[in-house]
Amino acid sequence: MKLEKLNPSLKALTVLLCAIELSFQYLAGLNTAVFLVCLLLLIFCSDASLKTALQILIPAFIAALGLFFMGLYYARGNSLTDAELSGLSSLPYAVRAALSTNFGAALQLATRLLAFAGLGVLFALTTDRELFLYSLMRQCRLPAGFAYGILAAVNLMPEMVREFKTVRLAFRVRGLRPGPFSLGPVFTMLVNSIRWSESVAMAMESKGFSGEQPRSYYLRPKVRWYDWLFCLGALGAILAGMLLLPK
Amino acid sequence: METPALRLQDLCFRYSEQGKRNILDHVSLEIPAGKITVLMGSGGCGKSTLAAVAAGLYPENGGFLASGTVELFGRSVGELSIPERARLLSLMFQNPELQFCMDTLRKELRFCLENLNVPREEMDGRALAAARALGLEEQLDQKLHSLSGGEKQRAMLCCLTVLESRCLLLDETLANIDSGAAKELVAQMVRLRQEGKTIIAIDHRLETWLEAADEIIILGQGAQVLARGINRDNLAEYRELFRQEGLYYPEKPHLKAAALPEPAPAVELKGVSIPRAVEKDRWGRKTVRGWLLRDACAAFPQGRMTAVLGKSGSGKTSTFLSVLKQHPYEGSIFIRGRDLKSIRERELFGQIGMVFQNPGNQFVSQKAEEELLRSLRLWERDLSEEAAREKALALLDSFGLRPWHRFSPYMLSQGQQRRLAVLAVLAGRQEILFLDEPTYGQDRRSTDAIMERLRLKVETEGLTVVFITHDRELAAAWADKLYRLEGQKLLETRPEDLFEEAAL
Repeated sequence: MKLEKLNPSLKALTVLLCAIELSFQYLAGLNTAVFLVCLLLLIFCSDASLKTALQILIPAFIAALGLFFMGLYYARGNSLTDAELSGLSSLPYAVRAALSTNFGAALQLATRLLAFAGLGVLFALTTDRELFLYSLMRQCRLPAGFAYGILAAVNLMPEMVREFKTVRLAFRVRGLRPGPFSLGPVFTMLVNSIRWSESVAMAMESKGFSGEQPRSYYLRPKVRWYDWLFCLGALGAILAGMLLLPK
Repeated sequence: METPALRLQDLCFRYSEQGKRNILDHVSLEIPAGKITVLMGSGGCGKSTLAAVAAGLYPENGGFLASGTVELFGRSVGELSIPERARLLSLMFQNPELQFCMDTLRKELRFCLENLNVPREEMDGRALAAARALGLEEQLDQKLHSLSGGEKQRAMLCCLTVLESRCLLLDETLANIDSGAAKELVAQMVRLRQEGKTIIAIDHRLETWLEAADEIIILGQGAQVLARGINRDNLAEYRELFRQEGLYYPEKPHLKAAALPEPAPAVELKGVSIPRAVEKDRWGRKTVRGWLLRDACAAFPQGRMTAVLGKSGSGKTSTFLSVLKQHPYEGSIFIRGRDLKSIRERELFGQIGMVFQNPGNQFVSQKAEEELLRSLRLWERDLSEEAAREKALALLDSFGLRPWHRFSPYMLSQGQQRRLAVLAVLAGRQEILFLDEPTYGQDRRSTDAIMERLRLKVETEGLTVVFITHDRELAAAWADKLYRLEGQKLLETRPEDLFEEAAL
């Protein structure tokens, strides 16, 4: 059973609910467990490219590390003074810091971020974006005009990248040197994009597309029993972890 | 009498309700079913607007219909739902890039069938049949953006045939594709006519359509019908009207007289090979992915106009980019005898200017006058602000753009935009000018207007112009020297040879 087979809308709902559930608890162990389970699922139950997963997770690790140190040194409440009062002031600073309850809070923040990242990657890398949109139209009644608008925009991306390169080159040939963030080429691109969106919309309409009329669907994602199983299983497992894992 | 495919009665359309000028001015027109009808008119006469109104896209998406009715096969267009309308008439556009909303043809075809509420079970069969009829079976699962311009237009046609519309309206569909691909499309249209479809083609070029067309209609300002019932037999009677309207009259092409002895080259290629793409692996080692050009030698003479012809995708633009140091190359390129490798980029752009296919890409400000001032300030630092302004206005005047000097460049017409782009590039006193597809989005008259002004600059100021195009007539009419890029080779040709071969 691959994760790709699950219904995208229900998968999204599951991930979202899991994240909400996780934000009501303070267990570093549970967070870590969720993160590890996500990784294991990615490795063994999906066709996702692990390289892409790593590329997304490395920044998440850096952010988690940053959050960890921030929580360690700057959190309010039970801070270093507690450790100092309890007569440990002869120990080096780092050890004192580690012993204080701050350590727990910091670890908790950092692992929570990792758990969220894990859930996000799990969803993003095992979901086909077109199928997700079809499923949203079917299961969540997303208006067709909106969904196809997104699809058209996404499929225009390669064209836009090419256009942006040309615009930047055109600026350089004219002797201007746009920096990577200068607004000149962006403005030109925006003007073009408005024109493009009009043309694409007219082309779609000319092919008989309208948001209101009934239409048939080639892809019809369904919600099956195993989708519910996945959803309830994941939520239940986290709930169990919250109740059973030691504080 | 049979119901006409399209009947317009007293149609008045303008872009805003308060606007004074009617884009369509009391137009009445009937187009018979089952025929190929070509509508011709000069740029800005409202023929594209006419198409959008006929297809019901306007006034729904903008504009104001002051009066008049549109009927498709006897049914008023306003009463039809969008899918019903698409079964009667569908539109094909000029820009092949901006017609698709999915990423492969197969998905796009499914999208079309879904729009018409076709049952799922029939979809695969109908999609495959349509693709097979147009020879696009292999392209079904290729990414649409990787197809050539001609293939994209064929893919679009495939979508329209799968819709089974009774009438196809082609809005300048052949303008951006090379003549081989254009002929193929016209052949498909003839096949569709045999199946009983109605074809309405809007174009400002006639020769590709001439054999196939049943009737040619000439539209004037406000899309008024000036003449109809023209066909290949009585075409000669309307020659004067063609000239008067600035339309291209199909005839033996006017060939430029042989040029005087050739001056020294401004740009010279010696044994140049240009890769399609170079990929770097993670250690920075380069591997070449296919060649566009191998071992080419060419000289673009100073103070002359040179044309480079070739099919789309054959590497013309990449060759230009190599000369601008924006694309890798092997061999040597000389700019006025100096090796390109020893010229710094800034100095190079001071000598060579380039006007891109879409002039809208290279505007750097929001006022026509400011466009030139920017260039003048950059390249002529010693000019005072007053003098620069004066010079900018004089330049605008020389290209007939003076009245629009306060307008935003994006508000100008396509022809004016290109003229402004050329001016903005030339304002820096660049002595070599590259033009990429000057016919793109233009009618004959505005292309000729640009070429004429450039010719004047070539003759009086010694400007060197190199332009790439798929338009043989344009090349033959204006270039002193011709090159053809074909099968990875850059060959010099004479204008007379261009027209001997059937397909370029």
